[in-house]
Amino acid sequence: MSNVINASNLTLTYDHGRKEVITDVNFTVKKGEFVFITGPSGSGKSTLLKSLYGRIKPTSGNLVVGGVDLAHVKPSKLQELRTHMGIIFQDFKLVNEWTVAKNVVLPLMIAGYSLDVQNTQAHRLLKHVKLSEHAEKYPLELSGGEQQRVGVARALAKNPVLILADEPTGNLDDYSSNVIWDLMENACQQLETTVLVVTHKIPQVFSLPYRHFIIEGKGVYEVH
Amino acid sequence: MKYIKNHLMFIFPLMAILLGIEFYLVFDRTTDTYEKGLQEGYSMLVVTKEPMKTDAFRALNRHISKSESIERNSIVSRIAKGVTKEGEAKILKSLPYFYNVHLNEYISTGELIRIKEDLELSPLIKKVETFGSNYESNYRLFSFIKFTLKIFIGFMSVVSLFLIMKQMEIWKYAHKERMQIMEIFGAPLMLRSGVLFKIAIIDAIAAALIVSSIFLYLKFYWAVHSGIEIMIQNRDYLFRITDIGILLAAALLIVIISVYSVVYSTKGVEE
Repeated sequence: MSNVINASNLTLTYDHGRKEVITDVNFTVKKGEFVFITGPSGSGKSTLLKSLYGRIKPTSGNLVVGGVDLAHVKPSKLQELRTHMGIIFQDFKLVNEWTVAKNVVLPLMIAGYSLDVQNTQAHRLLKHVKLSEHAEKYPLELSGGEQQRVGVARALAKNPVLILADEPTGNLDDYSSNVIWDLMENACQQLETTVLVVTHKIPQVFSLPYRHFIIEGKGVYEVH
Repeated sequence: MKYIKNHLMFIFPLMAILLGIEFYLVFDRTTDTYEKGLQEGYSMLVVTKEPMKTDAFRALNRHISKSESIERNSIVSRIAKGVTKEGEAKILKSLPYFYNVHLNEYISTGELIRIKEDLELSPLIKKVETFGSNYESNYRLFSFIKFTLKIFIGFMSVVSLFLIMKQMEIWKYAHKERMQIMEIFGAPLMLRSGVLFKIAIIDAIAAALIVSSIFLYLKFYWAVHSGIEIMIQNRDYLFRITDIGILLAAALLIVIISVYSVVYSTKGVEE
C-alpha cells in the first residue's frame, strides 16, 4: 500500500522559528490506516496536524502528503491538496451564517459542483450523520455533538483521501463522542480513507485496528 | 436593519469621496472656462518703432498668441484736433506703432514680468505696459480660490478614506472566520472573497448612482430654478454624462483596493 504521509527528519517550529516542537522525526502512514497521535498538552500534536495540511511549513526535513512535498509547495498546489482532505476541528469551525446543509457541501462548492449535486449530496451526508431534519438550521442552533457531526459530514463530502482530526471529541459528551468515532471508523473502513486523529485520549471502545503514535520530548514514537 | 446599516456604513464615506471627485471635476471645468475668459480678456500694450507681426512677437516669447494693431490714424485724429493736414501727417510719421498683445494661457505675474523683459530686449520695442497690478490681484484671488477648494476636497477625501478603513476593519472582523475556513478547505482567493466583492460592488454602484443623481438634480432642477444667472449660464459644467463613468470607475477602484486589503489581511492568520 502506498504512503499517504511520509515524514523524514522533520522538524517543526513556531513563534518564527524560535520554539522547536518536533525535532528530526520520521514516520509514515499508509492508505486506509487509522492513526492516533497522542501526547501531553503543549507537546506539539496540533502543530504536527497543522503541518499536515500546510498551515505550518516544515523548518527542516521532508513532509510529503498525498504526493505533495509540503516543504516546497506552491500556494496553488497546496490549495488543490486541501480539496482532497477532510479536516475536523475541536471547535468545529463551521460558518455560523450558513445553514447546516451549506456548511456540509463547502468542499463541493469549492470544487465547483452544480447546485443540484450539492443539494443531493447535502441530503445524503446529513442522512448519514442523522441530521436530515436540521438541514436548514444554523450551526448555533445545534448542540456541540450535532455541530461536530456536521463537521464530520463536511469532512466526508468529497470522499477525501485523508481525514485529519484535531481533538474531534474534545468538547463532547460520551454519547456524542461515540457517534463521532463510529462515523470516522465507517469512513476508514468503507471508503478506505486514511484517518489521522490527534487526541489526548484514545477511545475505550474502538473496533478497528489502528496505529498509535505518541509525541514526547520533541520526538514521535510508535506505540506497539 | 443590520444589512442596510452595513451597506450605508460603506456607501456614505464612498459617497463623500465621489462628491469630492465630482466637485473637483465641476470646479475644474468652471475655472477652466473662467481662466480662458481672463486670458482672452487680458492684453498688454506694446509700443514699437517699426511695424511688427505676431510671429515677430512670438519669436521673443512663446506665450504670445496674437497681436492686434491699434489704428494710428484714430489716435492722431484724437490728439491733433485743429492741426493742419501737413501737421497731422508729421505727427503720424513721428508716432510709434501700438499693439494689443494677447497671451496663450493664464500665467503668473512672474511670467508676465519675464515676457515684458523678453519684449524689451528687442531694439524695435520702445515700451511694454503689462497692467500688472490689475492682473496680479485677479490672479492671486483666482489662485487662492482654487487652492482652498482643492484643500477642502483633499481633506474631505482623507477623512472619508479613514472612514472606509474603519469599515474595512469591521468587514475583516465579520468575514474573517468564513474566509479562513474556506481557505483551510482549499478555496481559491476569488471564491473566498466573493461575498465581499459582491457587497462592495453593489455599494460602489449605489454610491456612484446616488452622487450622479444629486448632480443631475442640481443641473436640471436646482440650477434652472435657482434664479442665479451665473448658475443658469454655466449649468452644463455641473454634470456631464461621462462623469457617471468617472465616478463609477473611481468607486470600483476604491472598493477593489479595500476588498483586497481585507482579503490579504485575513490570509494565513493562525486559526
